[in-house]
Amino acid sequence: MSKYAFWPGCVAQGAAPELYTSTLAVAEHLGMDLVELEAAACTGAGIISDGEPYLQDVLNARTMAMSEQMDLPLMDICSTCVGVHRLAAEKFRDVDYRIRINHHLAPEGLEYRGTVDPRHLLWILLEDVGIDKINSMVKRPLEELNLGPFYGCYLVRPERTLEFDTHPTRRDSLEQLIEVLGATSITYDGMTKCCGFPILTMNKQNSLTMAGTHLDEAQSKGADALVTPCPLCHLNLDAQQPDAAKVIDRNLNLPILHVPQLLGLAMGLEPETLGLTRHVVDTNRLLNKIGA
Amino acid sequence: MAQQELIIQRYNPDTDESYEESFNVDVQPGQTVLDSLNAIKWEQDGTLSFRMSCRHAICGSCAMKVNGQSMLSCQTQVDAAAERGDPITVGPQGNQNVIKDLVVDVEKFLHQFERAETWLEPYEDQEPPEREYRQKVEEFDHWSHASTCIHCGACYSDCTVAAVDENFLGPAALAKAYRFVMDSRDAKREERLQFLSEEQGGIWDCTRCYMCVQACPKDVLPMDAIMELRTLAIEAGHVNNHGVRHHKGFMSGVRKRGRLDEMMLPVQSVGIGRLLTGNLAAHKEMMDYTPGAIRLLKSRKLLTIAQRHGANAEGREQIERIFEEVEAEKHHHDVDAEAFGAEFETAIGGH
Ligand code: SF4
Ligand code: SF4
Ligand code: SF4
Ligand code: SF4
Ligand code: FES
Repeated sequence: MSKYAFWPGCVAQGAAPELYTSTLAVAEHLGMDLVELEAAACTGAGIISDGEPYLQDVLNARTMAMSEQMDLPLMDICSTCVGVHRLAAEKFRDVDYRIRINHHLAPEGLEYRGTVDPRHLLWILLEDVGIDKINSMVKRPLEELNLGPFYGCYLVRPERTLEFDTHPTRRDSLEQLIEVLGATSITYDGMTKCCGFPILTMNKQNSLTMAGTHLDEAQSKGADALVTPCPLCHLNLDAQQPDAAKVIDRNLNLPILHVPQLLGLAMGLEPETLGLTRHVVDTNRLLNKIGA
Repeated sequence: MAQQELIIQRYNPDTDESYEESFNVDVQPGQTVLDSLNAIKWEQDGTLSFRMSCRHAICGSCAMKVNGQSMLSCQTQVDAAAERGDPITVGPQGNQNVIKDLVVDVEKFLHQFERAETWLEPYEDQEPPEREYRQKVEEFDHWSHASTCIHCGACYSDCTVAAVDENFLGPAALAKAYRFVMDSRDAKREERLQFLSEEQGGIWDCTRCYMCVQACPKDVLPMDAIMELRTLAIEAGHVNNHGVRHHKGFMSGVRKRGRLDEMMLPVQSVGIGRLLTGNLAAHKEMMDYTPGAIRLLKSRKLLTIAQRHGANAEGREQIERIFEEVEAEKHHHDVDAEAFGAEFETAIGGH
């Protein structure tokens, strides 16, 4: 059985609890053993580092040291977590910096040796579980669905940090997952852009213009729903969708799925179990279409 | 010799027509996208318009979108581009008006540098040096990445905020501003930090989307520069804005529970102090967030405090310890820096 050190991230345990529960449901179904890092801290999301970059680094070195100590690969379920973890891991290649950081980990018996390769559930599905196994688990093919991928910045940029060169499948991981589950992946400009969430409280107009523009584009290209590996994107695309519609003055009605929800649906899990009833944008029409 | 198809986004200002046109070109190994555009212009259609000069990634005039991402066409080989998209699509830069075909109006982009006054402002009470102004090597090493900009506009073209806000200073101008903030020969550091924090479209409007870092052909790392400017601005005391309140609110949540506290974040961003003192603007901003919060509650998305995990007790203790240690270490550094500053001032006799 494949075992992972699991960092759920704050949003999956806060404003997007359906991501947390659907991840656990899907992992169980796939026979993945997730050991939750209950003592770990928020990645800082690039917000702690606005004023305290060093503090953010220490917190992330600590999380990675925990995963190292358990000798388990680290799994994130949020694009932002992956991005922040990987950028930190990149900095910790500098041995002097690691020594300085490790001072703060020593009192709790931790030391980061620089071996962790933080990955998103989405990558783990393709890289560890494998397309064939996923394909064999499909009970409810999603042939009726046209789905728009929405990556979230940190799962597509910067390419160097994500190691696209050595892992080319990461480039279109979402499209691959969508297609193996039987659905059609639609292409639109906004799919690799920013949802605008980070500036929601600073500049609501700009933030919601971004979200609204991408939603409108995907909807007009025939998307039945979007799929995102980032719960922060989910907040701006789902919870803020009614306001985004007002800002861009369009009708929007586009359900937004988390990655494990999509996979769970295809594997025949119940919408309730996957938290699909906990969305702001109603998912009923989508569920009816696939007879769920 | 291989053949390659290029689909070029064209615009004819005389007829106000936009259209795509496909061309096939013969390509040699190592041939660039710009070489191919030249081949088209010379051999197939002399009306095709684009900017170029050096052909060596120096002048910055040939940036355009190749397969949807901005890059220097003289630095991009056809083979590599075709791996990312075949046929290769070529289009003008984004976020600027197109004049003709692949030529955009760079006025708006260049104007941002003027707004940020990105030139050296020397100390006025100092005699100009006999030879050049000097900068220490170690200091320069820290920010040299930001000095290599060739003003190609690739970052601005792909910037997700510039796409929705004409007023955003944008990655290149902000990176250049950073370059002068860091330059010890520049006398306007304080004014610059204040301007960049308070100006509409300044450092707090960036979404941290990494488009500029990805697009830049010179590794200027504009977003990294913007993030460092934020830290410097906070250190310099420019803290009365949403961005800083957001940062502080986020930090206090993580310090308390080990995790972010989204429930409190809007309140903290607007500013508890501003709300308590009856600041009208603050109350209006708070009302703006209310529909969103009610929707979350209705869809049972927000859990009650008791239901929410947070780090376990052991973890919280360690997180608090780390916050304290880093704070103490920082204070220590500040004291060191002050002592160093005083020493330095004595050494140069003040300025
Ligand atoms: S990045 Fe997001 S989900 Fe990840 S730890 Fe931080 S706030 Fe939480
Ligand atoms: S799209 Fe926005 S919220 Fe999502 S990862 Fe990028 S910056 Fe974060
Ligand atoms: S990181 Fe900031 S400056 Fe750079 S492209 Fe994104 S929004 Fe623009
Ligand atoms: S920062 Fe980079 S991409 Fe932007 S204008 Fe300068 S060189 Fe071009
Ligand atoms: S032609 Fe000068 S940078 Fe490309």
